[in-house]
Formats: sequence, C-alpha cells, structure tokens
Amino acid sequence: MRRIIIAVLSILIIASCTKEDHKETDKTARLSLRFDHLNQGQSLLVDSLMYINAANNLYLVSEIQYFISDVSLYKNGETHLLDSWKDIHYVDTDLPYTWDWELKDSIPSGTYDSLSVVFGINETKNQSLMFVNPPESLMFWPEYLGGGYHYLKLNGKWKDEDDVLRPYNYHLGIGQLYDETGGDPIGFVQNYFTVTLVNESFEFPEAGILKLKVDMDVDQWFVNPEIFDFNQWGGDIMQKQDAMAMAVNNGSTVFNAHWVSD
Amino acid sequence: MTLFLALLGIALLLASCQSKDDVPVHQPTAYTIEIPFGFPTELNIPDDNPMTVEGVTLGRYLFYDGRLSGRTHADSLMSCYSCHRQERSFEAGIDHPDFPGGYPHGLSGKHTHHVMLPLINLVWNHSGYGWNGSVYKDNVNAEYRNIEDIVRMAVMAEDEMFGDTSRVVALFNQLPAYKQLFQDAFGNPEVSFRNIERAIAQFVRTLVSANSRFDKYIRGELQLTQQELNGYVLFTTEEGADCFHCHGGYGNPLFTTHLFYNNAKDSIFDDPKDRFAISADPMDHGAYKATTLRNIEVQAPFMHDGRFKTLEEVIIFYSVDLVQSNSVDPLMHHIHTGGVRLTEQEMSDLLAFIRCLRDDEFMTNEAFSRPQVLPDSDTSY
Repeated sequence: MRRIIIAVLSILIIASCTKEDHKETDKTARLSLRFDHLNQGQSLLVDSLMYINAANNLYLVSEIQYFISDVSLYKNGETHLLDSWKDIHYVDTDLPYTWDWELKDSIPSGTYDSLSVVFGINETKNQSLMFVNPPESLMFWPEYLGGGYHYLKLNGKWKDEDDVLRPYNYHLGIGQLYDETGGDPIGFVQNYFTVTLVNESFEFPEAGILKLKVDMDVDQWFVNPEIFDFNQWGGDIMQKQDAMAMAVNNGSTVFNAHWVSD
Repeated sequence: MTLFLALLGIALLLASCQSKDDVPVHQPTAYTIEIPFGFPTELNIPDDNPMTVEGVTLGRYLFYDGRLSGRTHADSLMSCYSCHRQERSFEAGIDHPDFPGGYPHGLSGKHTHHVMLPLINLVWNHSGYGWNGSVYKDNVNAEYRNIEDIVRMAVMAEDEMFGDTSRVVALFNQLPAYKQLFQDAFGNPEVSFRNIERAIAQFVRTLVSANSRFDKYIRGELQLTQQELNGYVLFTTEEGADCFHCHGGYGNPLFTTHLFYNNAKDSIFDDPKDRFAISADPMDHGAYKATTLRNIEVQAPFMHDGRFKTLEEVIIFYSVDLVQSNSVDPLMHHIHTGGVRLTEQEMSDLLAFIRCLRDDEFMTNEAFSRPQVLPDSDTSY
C-alpha cells in the first residue's frame, strides 16, 4: 500500500514539474507604453506663450493630466484586454514617473492586427472613490456632474480678443444634459473614447518587452475635425457637453504611436 | 565523560538563555491610525518614527508643556499649544488672548512671517508643510523634511519659542516622570531632542478630523439641509463657486489638494517666502498652499497674510475681487469677470456648506486635549 502511495505521489510531483516546465517554455513578452507630449510636432514647452491654434488663439499649456485605460490587442477578430495587473494608468506632465507604463501581462508571441486604448475610463470602471490617494484622487469629477474622475485636465492660458491673458481649463469627463430651465442635470453622457494607437500588423517577440512610444500632440485637441476657439467657449468646458463632444471628436487624432527599441 | 560534557553543554545553553532574558526588551504598543471613509490610505509616517501609543502619550504631554521653550519662568514658557489651540482646529484663531487678530509672535516679540496653518489631518500631507511647502520629504537638506523637523524649527525660531535644544534636553532630563515616559516610548530614559521631535510628531499625526456634518452626510448618517446642499453644488461646479479643484469634495475629503496656487490676490509679489522661493518656478510667484477647508470657520484670519477677517470677506473676494497677474493659476479661470460672481443667496448657500465642514468632535476630543496634569509639575506650565 505504501509503495502505491509513494508511486502516486511521485507521478503527481513529476506531473506538476512537467506543467511548470511547460509554462516556462511559453513564448511571451510584455508591453510598455511611454507617454510624451508635443505641440505641433515639437516637444511641448510648458508655460510658454508661443502656440497658435487653428482658431488663431495664441496660447500656452501649463499642465496635462489624464487617464489611459483598457489597453487591448486585436488578433484574428479576437480582443485581448491587458488587465491582469492594472487597467487604468494616470499620466501627468509634472510627474515623470507617470510617463512610463509597463504592463505586467504576459503576451503570447505572434502577429497581432492592431492595438488600442481607451482615453478616459469606461462607465463600469469609473466609480467615485476608487482612487483615494493623490495624484489620481485629485482627478475626481464632482458627483453632481456625474461622478467618477476627470479623463483629462489640460490647463493653460490664452490671449483673448482684448489681448488679455486668460486661464483655460480644458477638462473632459462625464458630460451632463440639461433642459431649457438650466436646472439640475437630467442625464449624463459618457465621453470616454477608444483610440487606435497601432493599426497595422505587428509581431510580439518570444521574450522581452515591446515598447510603444505614445505622443500626445496637444494642439490636436483644438483642431481636426473641429476647430475649438477659446474666444467662443471661454475658459471652462466641464459643464458644456457640446464643447466636450468636440474634444471627443478631436481626441482620436491627438495621439501618434510608434514602436521603439532601446 | 560523555555524560559530563553533555550536561555541561546543556548548562551553558541554559545560562545563555538566561542571559538573553535579562536584557530588557522595549516593546511599545503600535498605534494605528484608522482611515476615515474616503480618506487616502497612504500615510506620511517616516520609517524611523513608527507610531506607538507610548510615543503619542509622551508627545501629547510635550505638545502642551510650556517648558518646551527650555525655560521654567512663568513669563517665558511656551508650548505648541501656546499658538495651536484645539478649539481653533489647532491654530491660533482671530480671538487668541495673547495674539490679537490671530497674528502670533514668539517669545522674542517677533511676529511669524505668515499667519498660522492648522494642525489637522497632516498625516495625509505628502507635498510639503507650511504655506510654501518648505518642509518636504525629498528635501536635499535632511533637516527640513517632516513634522519632526518642524518641532525643532519651532523651538529654535526667533518668532516662536526662541529656544535652545540643548537647554530643552537638559531641562527635561531633570524631570523623572518624563524620563519614565521617554523610557516607555523609546526604550531609553535619557531625553534627546530627536526623541522630543519624534514624540510630538507622533501626537500631531493623530490629529484626525473626519466627523463634520459633511462626513456624516457622505457616510449616510444624516441629511444636509437644502441650503447646505445648494452650497455643495456651488462648491463643486465650475459654473458655480468652482472651489473643488483646489479644495476637494466627495472624491477628496481632505478638502485640500495640499498643492500651491496663486489664487489671484495680488499683482505685485514681494514675499520672500512664497512658493517661488522653494520651486524657483516663475509661475509660482504669489503661490501658497491651498488650506484645508475643514474647520475653516474657526480659523480666521484667512490667507497667508491674514488679510481677510471673515469667511464672508473671502467669498466676496472669490466672487468679484480677483486680481490679474502673469502667474495667476490657470484654475482661476473666472478672473476675466473678477471672480465667480455669486448672488447674495448663492454666497449664503456656499457659506452654509462650508460651515458643515466644521468638526466639533475633533475640537473637543479629549485624546487631543490639554492633559489636566503635566508630568513633574506642581504648577501650570
């Protein structure tokens, strides 16, 4: 009897070792994203009154803070969501440690068709108090306006028609619908959107880390397809769904991505 | 012979165990800060000063003991409490009996450079202490990094206790009851200034305020009045009073970001201790810490220089009196109209909401209050 037990145990141990060995021979790699910020193709210079948008507004950019979520790979009609460690990443132009996001997911090697991210956070995940620590918590979006978190804070100043330097807060998050009385919101609009960062096939290697550099060109928030004029919309948009809808429309051309090596 | 050697070995082993038991082991009781609903979970507690019940107990005594100035004469006593009054959310308050208008001065008679900030929820401050954030975790100067350092600065500063740390240590080393408290807290009866700093910092980190009417509202324990709710909407909307970006709300119940802003008070900046003095960023001219609005009702005067005596004055300022400058913070986007332009009713509603951030339980909590008797004391220090 004892021999039988020993034999069974040995088989089980060997089987488990085999499984481990099999795991180790899987060909997987990881993905990392590096965020950078440009204006009209050049490195962004903050607090420099030197940019002119399509509406002919002279403006500067002070800081940009935003959430990227739900990195997805597409292959043969199937979607692979990379969310095994975390699925929402905060980027802040003032905090260099936020510029790199190394995803922990092990991605099988092979050919993939495309890669996308969500700008902002979808309605299922965008729950108030899911971030209680700064800097993410400082992105909270008031309950009255829909709750959750700002997708984007883009702050700066522009020269208005009277040649006065005025602050702007180009903030994107859940939009509100109001009736003609201008009372409390009667509904909300989810303004997050999907951005296809890579739209041609690419190979994931058998090991290592594949690096994608993601550039946000700030000026694109104000053009293509819609021209955003600060003199028309003023310094704030988070209670102006029409303006936020323009930001959503323009957002898909804000990012450019390309693979990089060390 | 073998038996003899074995017995000898066992005897030696037992002797060594006995010797180990003789060494007194210092095992203070860990103090745990309960995280209130919605508050951050990351605490600013230095690795070299873990919170203990004994440390907090000692810190509370020291916080309230006028001998911290290093002196015993009634005319020259000064403690943290001399300025940081519990009933004023641990700042001086405009009605302070010794500091008219809420402008503190030190034992030398010299006034502090700025008015005070409250000692409230500081265990969640990660971005620098003081109006300009000059004391911060990553400071290259290791003597200006945390609350422990502020204790030393307060004891030595001409505009505060104007003391001498060696003299303070010598004085407290003469006090046997304190020596026992130091033994209990740090495992060493010998008083050192480092341990004085540690104990007071531990006590200050326990000063948690999270039981205002607003806290109870978000925990579902009570309902706010309609006027308070109206004020809450104004507080958290850009088209309203637009307070929340700097002063928090449901998603940031500290009611401060702990960051620094030029909030459009001035157009000329000549304060050598504004945020620019720390960051050297030209956009930080005239920038100061956004204070927490918890208990703000009892913390007059307001702003870094105490220019406003009432909350009504502050609200009027944000409504119509903003001043343009190149370094005004981008979040002050209502500046082109002078402010957020609230009606009389809206100002009243906003004030009602701000008043529901008052936490009377915090300001009467016995654990934070002045001990009835101080160690080694036959008189009031």
